[in-house]
Amino acid sequence: MSEVAPVGLIAAFMEISRVTLRQLLGRRRTLLLILLSALPVLLAVAFRAAGETEVERFTRRIFDTITMTILMPLVAILFGSGAFGAEIDDGTVVYLLAKPVPRWIVIAAKAITALAMAILLTGSSTVLAGIIDMAPAGSDGVSATMAQLLAVVVGSACYVSLFLAVSLFTRRALVLGIGYMLVWEGALSFMLPGIANLSIRQYALGASTAVYKLPLQEVRLSAETALLLAGVLVVSALVLATWKLMRFELPGGSD
Amino acid sequence: MTDPKRAAGVPATAPATAIAAATAPAGSIYDLGYRHYNGKRNGRGYAMWSLFVESFRGVWGLGRPMTAKAAPFILAGLYALPAVVQLAFSSVFAQRIAAGDQLQLLNYHNYFADFYFLAFLFCVAQAPELVCRDQRYHVLPLYFTRAMGRMTYAVARLGSLALSLFILLAAPALALFVGDVLMQSDAFKAVGDELPKALPSIPATALVAAGLASLSLAISSFSPRRAYSAIGIVAYILLMEAIPAALYSIGQTGGGSWTDKLFVFTPVTSLIGATYWFFGQPLDPQDFAGSLTSGTYLVASIGSIVVATAVLVYRYRRVPA
Amino acid sequence: MTAQVDPEVNGLQVRSEVAPAIELVHAARWYGNVVAVNDVSFSLGAGVTGLLGPNGAGKTTLLHMLAGFLAPSAGSVHILGRSPHRDPSVYRQIGLVPEREAVYPFLTGRDYVKFNARLQGLRDPDGAARAAIARVGLEDSMDRQIGTYSKGMRQRVKVAGSLVHDPQVLLLDEPFNGMDPRQRIAMMDLLGVLADEGRTILFSSHILEEVERVGTEILVVVAGRLAASGDFRAIRALMTDRPHNISIRSSDDRRLATTLMADPAVFAVELTPAGLCVQTAQLGAFRRLIAGASRAAGVRLLEVTPADESLESVFDYLVRR
Repeated sequence: MSEVAPVGLIAAFMEISRVTLRQLLGRRRTLLLILLSALPVLLAVAFRAAGETEVERFTRRIFDTITMTILMPLVAILFGSGAFGAEIDDGTVVYLLAKPVPRWIVIAAKAITALAMAILLTGSSTVLAGIIDMAPAGSDGVSATMAQLLAVVVGSACYVSLFLAVSLFTRRALVLGIGYMLVWEGALSFMLPGIANLSIRQYALGASTAVYKLPLQEVRLSAETALLLAGVLVVSALVLATWKLMRFELPGGSD
Repeated sequence: MTDPKRAAGVPATAPATAIAAATAPAGSIYDLGYRHYNGKRNGRGYAMWSLFVESFRGVWGLGRPMTAKAAPFILAGLYALPAVVQLAFSSVFAQRIAAGDQLQLLNYHNYFADFYFLAFLFCVAQAPELVCRDQRYHVLPLYFTRAMGRMTYAVARLGSLALSLFILLAAPALALFVGDVLMQSDAFKAVGDELPKALPSIPATALVAAGLASLSLAISSFSPRRAYSAIGIVAYILLMEAIPAALYSIGQTGGGSWTDKLFVFTPVTSLIGATYWFFGQPLDPQDFAGSLTSGTYLVASIGSIVVATAVLVYRYRRVPA
Repeated sequence: MTAQVDPEVNGLQVRSEVAPAIELVHAARWYGNVVAVNDVSFSLGAGVTGLLGPNGAGKTTLLHMLAGFLAPSAGSVHILGRSPHRDPSVYRQIGLVPEREAVYPFLTGRDYVKFNARLQGLRDPDGAARAAIARVGLEDSMDRQIGTYSKGMRQRVKVAGSLVHDPQVLLLDEPFNGMDPRQRIAMMDLLGVLADEGRTILFSSHILEEVERVGTEILVVVAGRLAASGDFRAIRALMTDRPHNISIRSSDDRRLATTLMADPAVFAVELTPAGLCVQTAQLGAFRRLIAGASRAAGVRLLEVTPADESLESVFDYLVRR
């Protein structure tokens, strides 16, 4: 009578994942996120029409300034902090907590679902935009697209797990996430190049060099270091989240 | 709710007398002393003022727990920090200026350009806080059935956010002013010298406050969820900055020279450009690509304020209460 | 946890069983400087118990401690002999109906109950869900989205979700909120049936009739402390400093009244068209007196009922003390 049987764990995982999916995808907001993800693609079409099909220009103008600095962080922060945030705000988290399911399963189901959705949106946008604009560049274009996809996947994993953990500590995880993205990644990393070791953007761009060296000057980490640091971040964030969920205390309510 | 005038309008003695027929088995109605309000009614203007004050307190978390104060005060503090640091070291600078060094780290006209992201973050954090929950918990009808109309509600909320932003943006300008005055040996003369340089800060700050407040509140009013409003504000502003830049870069090589006109749609760049107009400063070509002048950016900013306010008011006319 | 288990800590023994389903020993919980639950001890076995108290008395905190969502700041909490905090496997034996109305609005009633069944690791989630839905009488609307449910239906689907794994202990926070009178009665009857099956059921309420109808066992919490526990009639009997009201119908009320007034145990007698209303300090003494007095007066007693044995009067008394 200790824990749920192994078969039950998979069912529990699927069930939590299903509910999370429904929570993150409202009708109107999904449409908005799809529009947001479509932007790099539309710009890629415009670039292609203007005859700009170099890997370097695309990487700088669209992938770096839009996908990596706006689209990927926004979507990942939204899904990461929303996976629990909505449940905590609404009070439905009780239904998850009052179950004999090991807490790491709950965290894993939430994180993997949020990450899958983030990658589905931004990853497909990256691949589409990359192919549209860089296909004429030949095999370089294809490798660059793959490298960009890898960067998006690594970046999303970091953002999702970090802000999923943060959302268990504060209700303002989303605003903290946007603050991190604007202040830390935006302003401070230009002023202080030394924080490369503590920047999700650097992890993501560093990881991409494993596939292809994207023409961006400020890639400061090697693929190995970047992947290692990203892995440490993801694992420790998820462990922290599990630890916190085990001690999660519900607010007293109106009583 | 704790208005003494209202309390004064209540009859002091309202006896809860029960007029009950002791023997008749028939039903009866008891006067439990329901108190009619006979006091003065202050009307719509007063309601708007009350909501304005209450919203302002809400933006800064005044009268609320510390957790509500954290975000606004930390962000305002961070925004003012560089100016305060400069103020703290003004005596050091004063000596060097006396020695003839031209030393200008931070200035009235480019302070916002350097640190705008903190003011922007303030909007992302506090604008959804101000309006989303009213829709989420369906309390809008409680507002709209009072003396407060839909329009009044929108204007009061907007005004409080704009005033909050004005305070946040004006604080470092004030610190710079104090610092600049202290730097000089003759304080009276220094005030005379500095004031003309500092005064354009007031209209410039008012414009930026109105611009950021109207835009962020207009976007927030469309979602009952704070998370989605916040994301909406960030997405709109960042994308409207990035898209014209991307298209402009196509235009440069592709021959479409008109593409620099697209910069009028940038929310933050336009506001920064407009502030330069008040200071009479030339636009730094490093920050402002294209050929637009600060006057154009001023017009663009005012246009953006008008459109955003119209959208906000339109939204509150239509929103199901 | 080797604390001495003392079932009579609060002066009243509730039920004696080998292993109490719910047991609190000197449990306390505070948030910062606010004490929500203060030194509460009781133990419960099978049956329905009402947790009573005015709003803000600490009922939800107490239930959250029982459900393992809050660690006691002092003392201990045990469910079926185990500490529920940080031990998810306890939830196999606990069904919880939280106070907040929120249920995933996008799920159908059936899907929600199945969700609970799967997370409980049940082998036949469909069958279990169907049975639980049948128990709360929601078969007709189980395929509708919960977002379209009325408040009462939401409460019922929450109860179904908490019942699906056949728990030994059922904790319900304000389960009758939002239900119409008929649904209340159905839910009360359901709780009675569930208790007869050997379950331990604890539900909180601030509405007295609810508690009175479901069970006579109550726990009264006032300002975080346990003010009384046990059968509410027994509690009433202990309240000796307050006169008991008893209404009597007899063949000759006037004659009986004169006889009763002669006895020192009787404070006052009121003659009403409906019968006599007698006030006495000692219920036991009065019971012995009444039979003899009526016989002596040659009056036939038709009905003797305690007029204020309602829970409300008991509760009122305890809260004001």
